[in-house]
Amino acid sequence: MTGQDLLAETVERLLNATPPGEDPWVDLAAGGFAWVSVPESAGGSGGDLRDAASVLRVAGRHATSAPIAETMLGGRLLAGAGLKVSGGSLAVVPGPGLAVVDGRLTGSAVVAWAAEADQVLAVVDLDGSPVLAAARPEQLGIERRLNMADEPRDDVRFDVALSELVTAPLPDGAADDLQRDGCLTRVVLAAGALQAISEMTIDYTSQRRQFGRPIATFQAVQHHLVAVAQSAVRASMAAETAVRTVQGGGGAWEVAAARVIVDEATIEGTRAAHQAHGAMGVTREYGLQRYTRLLWAWRHEYRQAREWRRWLGSEVASSGADALWPRITR
Amino acid sequence: MHFEVTELGAVERALQAEVRQFLTEELPRGSFVPGLGMNAAKDPAFSAKLGRRGWLGMTLPEEYGGHRRSMVERLVVTEELLRWGAPVGHHWVADRQSGPIIARYGTEEQKRRFLPPICRGILSFSIGMSEPDSGSDLASLATRAVRDGNGWLLNGRKVWTTGAAVNDWMIVLCRTTPVEEGGDKRSGLSQLMVELSADGVVATPIPFIDGTADFCDVMLEDVYVPDEQVLGTIGAGWTQNTSELAFERGGPDRWLSTYLVVEEYLRGLERGPVPHEVADLLGAAAANYWVLHHLTLSIARAVDEGRSPSIEASLVKEMGTRFEQDVLSGIQALIDLEPGLPARSMFERLLVTATLTAPSFTIRGGTNEILRSVASKGLAPSGGSR
Ligand SMILES: Cc1cc2nc3c(=O)[nH]c(=O)nc-3n(C[C@H](O)[C@H](O)[C@H](O)COP(=O)(O)OP(=O)(O)OC[C@H]3O[C@@H](n4cnc5c(N)ncnc54)[C@H](O)[C@@H]3O)c2cc1C
Repeated sequence: MTGQDLLAETVERLLNATPPGEDPWVDLAAGGFAWVSVPESAGGSGGDLRDAASVLRVAGRHATSAPIAETMLGGRLLAGAGLKVSGGSLAVVPGPGLAVVDGRLTGSAVVAWAAEADQVLAVVDLDGSPVLAAARPEQLGIERRLNMADEPRDDVRFDVALSELVTAPLPDGAADDLQRDGCLTRVVLAAGALQAISEMTIDYTSQRRQFGRPIATFQAVQHHLVAVAQSAVRASMAAETAVRTVQGGGGAWEVAAARVIVDEATIEGTRAAHQAHGAMGVTREYGLQRYTRLLWAWRHEYRQAREWRRWLGSEVASSGADALWPRITR
Repeated sequence: MHFEVTELGAVERALQAEVRQFLTEELPRGSFVPGLGMNAAKDPAFSAKLGRRGWLGMTLPEEYGGHRRSMVERLVVTEELLRWGAPVGHHWVADRQSGPIIARYGTEEQKRRFLPPICRGILSFSIGMSEPDSGSDLASLATRAVRDGNGWLLNGRKVWTTGAAVNDWMIVLCRTTPVEEGGDKRSGLSQLMVELSADGVVATPIPFIDGTADFCDVMLEDVYVPDEQVLGTIGAGWTQNTSELAFERGGPDRWLSTYLVVEEYLRGLERGPVPHEVADLLGAAAANYWVLHHLTLSIARAVDEGRSPSIEASLVKEMGTRFEQDVLSGIQALIDLEPGLPARSMFERLLVTATLTAPSFTIRGGTNEILRSVASKGLAPSGGSR
């Protein structure tokens, strides 16, 4: 058993023990799981990206509603800037959109879990170099909104003097790294959720009977089961391979590829899972929608999947015909 | 259902580099007409060269001319060959499934007789499964063998038998015990090795949709098959055949058939930024090749670790073959060309062949509907917590 397996099992046990309706964040935070991959020297729990991914994957498998991904991303940003994490949840401005004008940080963005965060972090460009800016939510204009899965995705307006924020320089390329790592969190979460809906669909169709037999014995329904399983398998392989590559350094190509695969898997997998569940799947009283609503929401976060696909395709085109095969099999 | 992520190790990487170098030297681009995956040309001289390199029968035991290498190493080699459009037709079936099935079920004498020439790339095999009235429902087959002296007398008809007019041998699945009333069709079947030049065997090519003629109608009339050519156990043909199908289904030949169409399309693009719809297609194609490569690698590694990922193989073949078709449709939607013959470019030639033969990708080796049924058997409730 690897360290990642052990970690996944621990989180699995913790989430299984959380009663429905109760906020899982408290226990996750107490166990330090939201700071995995943040160096201990920066107040984090240590471990690497593969460890972080194993936590996120389980969170995805449980449709866990808590700012784990945000806090991991934020913690790594703080550590990268030589700062320490506080112990509260973090929110991260996912992309460009903010600018420093006359010493004031201005602009707006959709930010996950901003209002309840200890700090809202942004990577801003200051004279061509990346700088981390950390704000307290009170310093920002926050309009609370929810995504399709009822998770906080707040409209956050920045109009604050940089001197009133905690700032520290980040390594070059930090903005691109955040895009890549943010996208990777969605990919890993989605892989976990797709695995869950595959299992749910298998279980449900083996129990639900029509025409005197379990619907899983109908060939047309079996084809839905296979479609969901394929979605789960592709997404997992893509996510895990991308995580390993990023851990080894670089990995933007693989993250983009994984995002493309997960997007396709989300479309096919959620469609087949819902079809196999009939009306039961579209009620709030049954768990499937917790997963599919999250999966649909994640498709649009850390840039649209379409943008990753186009970026990847442009890379492929500009690298030329002879570079494609070595790239695929790298 | 289990797919472990795995990476190529140093030895496997070195082998990959070696095969790449061999291909650029032996078959430089432009010096030959590349084929589409396993449909590529037959070239016995090329197969013999691969044999001398030790790249055929790679996983077979050394005492029979094999190389005791891993399934992953074999995958590394076959991926490179297919992606290059190399003429693998002569040895393809023998190397992929006949050799391994003989190694698994054959007698000592059969292994000594058949495996060394398979590993040298000089003995070719056909698959004698399908019949006019038995395709997906293979166990319903009608070809039968009856006891005759120290052997069997075989009668029946096989169809769609790839290469039967030119290959040396065919492994025939046939009935050796009649099905009893209400009995299981899958019992009483056996695998016989039939020499395609034997008396009573008449293989007639069937014109294929693209105008080639590779698969055949094979009449079997009082063909005498001596006991030395019975493969494995009489009556155990179904089980043996199922394990043969596992070799047939899990490989990169199930998603690389149209790779060269994509590569040549890419070669023809003008320099500079590409339109959105082109980038969209290339991005999706690259991502899918990448993940299929990793899934196939995972299956090969699982075999090396002693598992038998036949469900996984069916699952990947089903999506791989659909992808081969989808990526082709994507390219068709982007081109401004009216494809015609004689082709004016390599791209056009490959595109025409791919367009005409694409429907067969999701039929040969078991249809996608059947593969989905096979795969669904592996999707039982786990009782796991969530
Ligand atoms: C290029 C090519 C090469 C081939 N080479 C060989 C070879 O070398 N040796 C060999 O033995 N065979 C070979 N085959 C034959 C191949 O194995 C069969 O075509 C295949 O098994 C399907 O059988 P069939 O064509 O009779 O189709 P059928 O079984 O008649 O199927 C027709 C349609 O009905 C569907 N169908 C049938 N039964 C079911 C079911 N129970 N549930 C749902 N759908 C069903 C199928 O999926 C398909 O869509 C080759 C085929 C091709 C196209």
